[in-house]
Amino acid sequence: METAVAQAFRTAAQAALLVAAAPLVTGVVQKWKARLQCRRGASVVQPYRDLAKLLRKGTVQADTATPFFRAVPVLVLAATVTAAAMLPVLWAPAEGAALPLGDAILLVGLLALARFLLAIGALDAGGAFGGMGASREMTVGLLVEPALMLAVFSIAVAGGTTDVGLLAARRGSLAVAWQAPDLLALFAMLILALAETGRIPVDNPDTHLELTMLHEGMLLEHSGPGLACIVLATHVKQLVTLALVAALFLPLGLARGAAPAELALALAAFAAKVALLAGFLALVESSYAKLRFFRVPQFLGVGLVCAFLALALRVL
Amino acid sequence: MFLSVDLATRLIDVLGALLLFTMLLILASGQLFRAIYAVAAQAAFLGVAGAVLAAATGNVDLWIIAAITIGAKAIFLPWLLLRVVRRVQISREIEAVIPMHVTLALAAAIVVLAFHLNASLGPVRQAITGNALPVGVTLILIGVLVMASRRKALVQMVGLFASENGIFFTAMAISQGMPLIIEIGVILDVVLGALVMGILVLRVRSSVDADIADLESLKG
Amino acid sequence: MTSHLLWIAPLVPLAVGLVMLLVRDRRMLAALDVAGSLAVLGLTAGIARQVAAHGAVTALGVFRADDVAVIFLLLVGLLAVAVAVASVGWMRHEVARGEMREDRLRWYFALVHGFVATMLVTVLSDNLGILWIAMEGTTITSALLVGFHGDKHGLEAAWKYIIVTTIGISFGLFGTVLVYGAAAHAQGGVFAGAMNWSSIAAVAHRLDPGIIRIGFIFVMVGYGTKAGLAPLHMWLPDAHSQAPTPVSALLSGALIKCALFGIIRFHTIARDACGPEFSHGLLLAFGIVSVVVATPFIIVQHDLKRLLGYHSVEHVGIIALGLGFGGRVGTYGALLHVVNHGVTKALAFLVAGDAIGRYGTRDMRLMKGFLGIAPVAGTLLLMGAFSLAGTPPFSIFVSELLVVRAGIAAGRFVPVAVFLAMVVVIFAGLVHHVGQMAFGVADARAERGREAVTPILAMALLAAVMILFGTWIPFRPDRVLQSAAEIIVG
Repeated sequence: METAVAQAFRTAAQAALLVAAAPLVTGVVQKWKARLQCRRGASVVQPYRDLAKLLRKGTVQADTATPFFRAVPVLVLAATVTAAAMLPVLWAPAEGAALPLGDAILLVGLLALARFLLAIGALDAGGAFGGMGASREMTVGLLVEPALMLAVFSIAVAGGTTDVGLLAARRGSLAVAWQAPDLLALFAMLILALAETGRIPVDNPDTHLELTMLHEGMLLEHSGPGLACIVLATHVKQLVTLALVAALFLPLGLARGAAPAELALALAAFAAKVALLAGFLALVESSYAKLRFFRVPQFLGVGLVCAFLALALRVL
Repeated sequence: MFLSVDLATRLIDVLGALLLFTMLLILASGQLFRAIYAVAAQAAFLGVAGAVLAAATGNVDLWIIAAITIGAKAIFLPWLLLRVVRRVQISREIEAVIPMHVTLALAAAIVVLAFHLNASLGPVRQAITGNALPVGVTLILIGVLVMASRRKALVQMVGLFASENGIFFTAMAISQGMPLIIEIGVILDVVLGALVMGILVLRVRSSVDADIADLESLKG
Repeated sequence: MTSHLLWIAPLVPLAVGLVMLLVRDRRMLAALDVAGSLAVLGLTAGIARQVAAHGAVTALGVFRADDVAVIFLLLVGLLAVAVAVASVGWMRHEVARGEMREDRLRWYFALVHGFVATMLVTVLSDNLGILWIAMEGTTITSALLVGFHGDKHGLEAAWKYIIVTTIGISFGLFGTVLVYGAAAHAQGGVFAGAMNWSSIAAVAHRLDPGIIRIGFIFVMVGYGTKAGLAPLHMWLPDAHSQAPTPVSALLSGALIKCALFGIIRFHTIARDACGPEFSHGLLLAFGIVSVVVATPFIIVQHDLKRLLGYHSVEHVGIIALGLGFGGRVGTYGALLHVVNHGVTKALAFLVAGDAIGRYGTRDMRLMKGFLGIAPVAGTLLLMGAFSLAGTPPFSIFVSELLVVRAGIAAGRFVPVAVFLAMVVVIFAGLVHHVGQMAFGVADARAERGREAVTPILAMALLAAVMILFGTWIPFRPDRVLQSAAEIIVG
């Protein structure tokens, strides 16, 4: 039984690790994508450089924007980082933890909150592209969020808890207890991960072409440190999504104590899992074209139905 | 017996989930090629399921059936479909008659119904490995859904093959499968039927330049 | 008792069909056609004799003929002969008019014989898997025949036919798989005859009712599609109207009855496994829906062959009603109706083919004075139509009366009332259509040539059977029908 302080410290450490590593993951995906397309690509630390550059710049704001607009980037980042703190990265929590940190429903809710804040901010600035991006992003969110909940519930029913950390710990101790619903939930999560990380075929992270962008459209009015916050939040959200998939479906190699060897192993396992999923993202991005927007619901619909089936198969 | 019954059941369950997933891909695919590749993958999973059951029951016939399934349904029929597609050079986009979200919702309802039905069965369930029965029912019905919601001959054929994959899945998992000779006869029928359908599609394309499933002069 | 006739019977038309592929001469083909069909009829009669003498006979462990099978066998054999005889004159006419290319005739005849062979296997198989394979075989051979003319409408009908019946029949395969699975479970293992109807029926009372119920629903939908039961009949009017006329006669007269044979086999299993109410209820529901759905289409139809197609839907519905009412009388009536409708509908299609050939159209509004230009065929048309409408002294009246009696005896007053009301409406519609066609003065363009001998001969044969069964059912057929009803009722 660990104390509340130790648990809080552990949670903070994991969140810090996720935030620190998030731009690196984006860099790795971009690098692999470039390699798959036979380009050399930018260095994997390029996202850090971009962030540093943005932080040095000044802020310009639209005349129509309210003071709330200034608060949006910080709030988005805060919500996303809080979500990051919910995930088991290195440690598997013990049963009966002191603080209920790690509820999956809260995690999904925080991600939705970040999405909502971003959309509100984009509308607040009054730009046409911001409004369009927000509308599209919320359309996608409408399909992604319930599906995410269903997939998580499917795993939660099997694990008997909605705490992501406990789920990972319990499933990890069952070896790889893979059943049919897990497989369907995994497929659903992989489809949803593409949408949540804003990647092809749902969104294109590299484009600023007005007709095709979803997420980038909402960022147009932001600048300087504010933009840096949002970009960092985007990186973190991507890693949170991947870590969620890893925690639910590949719950292996989590440390139980604080021994350095165990921690090193856990870190290596986490890196391997994220690398695997990042490779998946890079592969999909390179081999598919972006869907026309009205085809996106069809694509996400498959994810939604898969998630629904995963839950239905578990219950029936 | 290379596999324990428990492991075989779990593998069949997982393969059943893969079949369901490929079925959803067929249902939601917006392009003809994707649907054909998905049904080929489905048949390949079906062949793997046959091999798993063969290893679990020690039934030599099932090895043969698995091999024939892969040869005929995962290789030959998709090849035939692709050939017909290339020959007729039709537009490769699939238009749905029923909106996609309705079809997907129906598909979800079908799965729930099938699994609910399965849960209501008595001790006879022991005779069927894993969830092969509800997966089979689901595949058949969603296959019909594909056929009903698309007005394009080749997609209707894909739906038909997917339906038949469902039947084969259940048939393999029921008490060591059907007799070999029957399975071979059934596959032969499927292949012959596909050939005849291919001939009809090509004949219509060459004579009136339309999709055969799109003709609707006969009514009332 | 084992009998070699069981496997020889389907092999003969198959061999004749293969030989035909080598023949190019039309007369030679026609001769082979008639001779082959007569051989089929002879073989089926031989099987009937053996069954009458020894009870059910088997062969090779997968074939079996009992009294139920004999009824369907004789029907297939009789219609094969009638159609072959009628084809002689019809084909000459078609070739002369340029409807049929002479060099493709051998394919046509070979396919017809392949079609007959698959129907014989369907009826003769004891193994439910082979029953299914043969049933799908009938689809493949007859789909090519439906689209044989190669025009747009024919191909559309062929496509609809093959795609609807193939998906439908795959439901039947799934039902077969489920029933087999339940039987293998109950028999405690798999052995050589585990898939045979006779061995499954022997343990039917021990089968799990839940799975048999699901299985029977799938079978009912599957074979019901092939039998043309509404609402699964979408393919039927198209295929019946677009196929070459002799093929229409076989489709309507024999093929859809073979599908009913499959349903009957599973019905006996379901009866023992989950009580008779379940399958009776399902048959009743499909039957009444078929009769009701077909009626309005019959009233408003102007296309002669489509009219006959919808009429088949109605009559298949009546057979399902008879089976659904159950009891000895209802089942006897249903089986008698199988024969009566098969014979009468084949007659009607052959006459229709003659009329269409003369007027060059299928629109009944444009056909007038048929009795004037073809007195013999016109008389036969009137007889066939009145028989289809259920008028005495023709055979369909008798079987419909038996079905109604069984319904009243079973206390199913609502279906009986609906059925009677629909029959009255159909009677009015049919008499209106046919009266319009038979009487009046023919259009000048109509062909007034002498009536060809062979089609008239074939039609007269069918009409003779029709009148015979309407007035007096001879002792032997009566005994076969009674013991077949015994098998089905249990």
